[in-house]
Amino acid sequence: MIELAQTTIGGVLTGLVYGLVALSFVVIYRAARIVNVAQGQLVLVGAFLLWTAASALGLPLWLAVPAALAGTGLLGVVLERLVFRPLVGQSGFTIVLATIALLVLLQGLVQLLWGAETRPFPAVLPSGSLHLGPFRLNRTLLLGGVLTVLLTEVLHWFFLHTREGLRLAAVAEDHFTALSMGISVRRATTIAWLLGGALACLAAMVLLSGRLLGASAAGIGFVALPVALLGGLESVRGAALAGVIVGVGEALASAYLDPLTNGAMSPIFPFALMVIVLLIRPQGLFGWRVIERL
Amino acid sequence: MSADPPLLELRNVDVVFNGVIQVLRGASLTVPAGAVVALLGANGAGKTTALRAVSGLLATEQGRVTAGHIGYAGADITNADPCAIVARGLVQVLDGRRVLAHLSVAQNLRAGAHFRRDFDEPAELARVLGYFPALERLMRRTAGYLSGGEMQMLLVGRALMARPRLMLLDEPSMGLAPRIAQELFATIRRINRAEGMAILLVEQNAAAALEICDHGYVMETGRVVLHGDRAALLANEDMRAFYLGLSLTQARRSYREVKHYKRRKRWLG
Ligand SMILES: Nc1ncnc2c1ncn2[C@@H]1O[C@H](COP(=O)(O)OP(=O)(O)OP(=O)(O)O)[C@@H](O)[C@H]1O
Ligand SMILES: [Mg+2]
Repeated sequence: MIELAQTTIGGVLTGLVYGLVALSFVVIYRAARIVNVAQGQLVLVGAFLLWTAASALGLPLWLAVPAALAGTGLLGVVLERLVFRPLVGQSGFTIVLATIALLVLLQGLVQLLWGAETRPFPAVLPSGSLHLGPFRLNRTLLLGGVLTVLLTEVLHWFFLHTREGLRLAAVAEDHFTALSMGISVRRATTIAWLLGGALACLAAMVLLSGRLLGASAAGIGFVALPVALLGGLESVRGAALAGVIVGVGEALASAYLDPLTNGAMSPIFPFALMVIVLLIRPQGLFGWRVIERL
Repeated sequence: MSADPPLLELRNVDVVFNGVIQVLRGASLTVPAGAVVALLGANGAGKTTALRAVSGLLATEQGRVTAGHIGYAGADITNADPCAIVARGLVQVLDGRRVLAHLSVAQNLRAGAHFRRDFDEPAELARVLGYFPALERLMRRTAGYLSGGEMQMLLVGRALMARPRLMLLDEPSMGLAPRIAQELFATIRRINRAEGMAILLVEQNAAAALEICDHGYVMETGRVVLHGDRAALLANEDMRAFYLGLSLTQARRSYREVKHYKRRKRWLG
């Protein structure tokens, strides 16, 4: 029983990291209607930017962290300008292909700039484990999880109660209507990519703090994509919740099914769940409507 | 007639889509400050296109004003940026009930005022609810679940939140029950009077539009074929025959039989 609870708790915490990456998908999708398949690579670039600032340049964390967040956000904005803005009005298929090309491109770029070897990632968050009764909690993930929940609530509030947030929400609903209300769709899209990039970088920090950084870190993008689809691509809270569902499911599959299946079940789990949910409810748990793109 | 320049003026405006499809052909119309002006015409005449030309929304559909001039409050707004146009107090209510479906009624209204700095939100909401008291109990309702009439009230209310000097309304009565449509028109007139806000109203329901307008224009295939003040339009034989379903002489006549109409068309065309 305790083992089951322990596995579940671990799943919740890992799931919230997925939720954080999924959140970065959602923020971009809402404004731009783009499912950025290369979001994992944005996470990777964010990680290397932080490594560069903190480890290579030796900046203190209070400086390196904001610099990396801003840098990744700016990369998002640059990608929007150079790759996606010229494609406005093109078919969803074209745009998905562009994000796949971007994935390969960014992966190559990271290898070119930072090489292929793995390196220790700075400990941005406190490490070690916290003992709570019979349970052990990973301190990094716990803090990251709390951060994700807070951020989800802040973003949810931001979209519904602030001027800028309402503008972004209107753009998420319909570009033409937003424009007719005098809302600049371009500006909203820029803000969304800035936010999406920064969130990807934040996810990198939670995921990698005190661990090893290598090209494989981008793989989180492939778990977060089904999480985002499951939660519903427009839903901020859905992303975090779907992250928890996938994280717990994956942890349970890993603990109880993997031993019987040569470790095949846990990697499949997020995708299997996604396919099932999409068959029953194509817009995801909290999404708005049928997904047109992807 | 006063010598003041009109609030809005379209002079010989041509609109072309995709570089080849010409939809407006030398359309001209004016909206004096504080007036209600009706823009009537058959389906496909170019009414919506005319409104979108004014509000700067053609570019998203690969359309452009290729000739002529659109002036608003002393400035040239031909092919201007829609955000800049809204910021000058010219707001369009699109056709097709485009509420922000996943936001609440209150959030929709707030979003309408998104660009205003000097903004007393409770007072502004109260002002809008004064015109549309039915929205009061719906404030927390998700806008996508409102009835058609409620949506239309919300849309006009959302536009009002911007405190426009000129509101463009595209077929607000579409799909509404006659009584609801009648109420809506009465409220539109009341808003016009109380706020001194000019309105350019596109309508299929010509009788209702003529009832509340000061002036009216009739478009056909991208041209203005008839215009005049309310009384003149109501008395006009062609107007009565085609748009009001009335006739001085007999029951409905077909399009081709009306001499006045043809004559006028040759004249203006
Ligand atoms: N984006 C576009 N591209 C090409 N042609 C267009 C476009 N938008 C409108 N048109 C054409 O322009 C003409 C006028 O359309 P418009 O929507 O302005 O008519 P309308 O008077 O508003 O009609 P309705 O009363 O049916 O709303 C139509 O023939 C239409 O097919
Ligand atoms: Mg129309």
